[in-house]
Amino acid sequence: MIQITATLIERRSLGAGQELRLRAPALARSLTAGQAVLVQTGCGLAPYLRRVFYPIALDDESWTLRVPADGDWGHAWLRTVAIGATLDCLGSVGNGFSVPAGSRNVLCLGEDAPASVAGPGISAWALLPAIVQAASEGRAVAFALEAALARDLIPSQRLPAAVEYHTAIRPPRIPDRPASPGVGVAQFLPELLPWADVVLAAGSLAFYSELATAVRAVRYELGRGFAQILYPAAFLCGVGACQACVADLATGRHRICQRGPVLDLVDVVGEA
Amino acid sequence: MIELAPHNKHSLALAAPVMAGSGAVGYADAWPPGISATMFGALVTPPVSWRPRRGHSPGRLAETPAGFILTTGDHNPGFRRVMDDHALEWRRLAVPILMALAGSTVEDWDRIAGRLEEEPGVAGLELHVTAGARPVDVANWVGVVRRATTLPLLVKLPSSQAATLAPAAVGAGADALVIGSGPLAAAVRQDGARLTGPLAGPAAFPFTLVGVAAVAELGLSVPIVAGGGICRLEDAQACFRAGAMAIQLRSLLWVDPAAAVRLVEALRG
Repeated sequence: MIQITATLIERRSLGAGQELRLRAPALARSLTAGQAVLVQTGCGLAPYLRRVFYPIALDDESWTLRVPADGDWGHAWLRTVAIGATLDCLGSVGNGFSVPAGSRNVLCLGEDAPASVAGPGISAWALLPAIVQAASEGRAVAFALEAALARDLIPSQRLPAAVEYHTAIRPPRIPDRPASPGVGVAQFLPELLPWADVVLAAGSLAFYSELATAVRAVRYELGRGFAQILYPAAFLCGVGACQACVADLATGRHRICQRGPVLDLVDVVGEA
Repeated sequence: MIELAPHNKHSLALAAPVMAGSGAVGYADAWPPGISATMFGALVTPPVSWRPRRGHSPGRLAETPAGFILTTGDHNPGFRRVMDDHALEWRRLAVPILMALAGSTVEDWDRIAGRLEEEPGVAGLELHVTAGARPVDVANWVGVVRRATTLPLLVKLPSSQAATLAPAAVGAGADALVIGSGPLAAAVRQDGARLTGPLAGPAAFPFTLVGVAAVAELGLSVPIVAGGGICRLEDAQACFRAGAMAIQLRSLLWVDPAAAVRLVEALRG
């Protein structure tokens, strides 16, 4: 991990949210999709905690974060930062997505997930760098995305042309309520899961639980190495000291900054 | 050198006035970027209990204005595992290691303290007194540990009760006082649930400063260490002027390690 000053070089608005492109070569070159960056926001001491972002675009010189259109004061401050301003970044945190060398067919599954008890919401936008990289490597990529509102879906023009894109609108999940079958991206899984060599997913824990159920139903087993998920955790230090990001995984209570934030789906739901 | 245990035969001499507060660098195995042991006069481990503790459930962090609440519930793998995994490395570090004893398991304190008496990797103990403790509790707890070990004992007090509890701690054998853990506070997590725990970060600093000043005025003749929300050179200087001999950093190391480096260098200055 490094602490580095990044320069805001581009701002794009998308609905009420924004994308900020930050020039920080040393950080950009060390980042992979799914790794977190902790960004200082605000002036002085408030807000005090860094905001957690996952890159939505990467190149050799810069990385891009997406500021959601929510009421968070750190996000609100970021939406007002002038081009040319500098932002203090700590990253990268943990492990990112990694497509195994022999995987030809990559299935990406996303949900625009709200904040939960486990931590901040995970945006499917975090999958974008992995999608772009897999497509550029000549792999076949399918991307299925669900959101509560059409405006929260990723515009198709943001994806490489070769990516097969499926979208679904579904009402937000209600904790502790069983999922409705065939709703959201679940409707695509009977066709896509047998095709996939590897799955990369970003969403809520309920989303991952439904994914595991679907994998077991369609492929008859959930083995280690088939599905990688981005775990929604709240980070404070990012180096394993503070224990703020602990999560109860199948193998026990672990620090997500050390084990994740990208985990094998088996680590989350267990082998059974 | 700064002597934190002037009345103890073992001595606890710090080469620098800045300590890494409890758990700030894990068990000396979790270093924020740019941070190294040579910056500090001593390192304090996370709170350790005799048996492993799973701590509080996930969802341990909530933000407050200029600060945060972090409730780990003294999550730790237990004394034996901590020693197995880290004691060898502690011996190699050229900086004193203080083991923090979990405030939630005071019944373990004498047993752990006794085991550490002959451990070369541990230079002393930091006992964490929880909010709401009474002077008679503190006297009992510290007295039990004092009888179990001759190692230097630092007693960390809640800043809001520091002046009330300090005489009992010193009377029972504390070598130094750490002021202290932030006042109990509550904040709302990102999922809307309320989290209650000690206030941390800059918001806690005013409580630290008033606690340090109040204990210093008691004239107890033991060193005072200030910890809790120190994040600027001015904060550190205010603590020294109020009577502290050393300071502890924790949240600054997590949130802005480069600022911590600047603070340490400025104090070396």
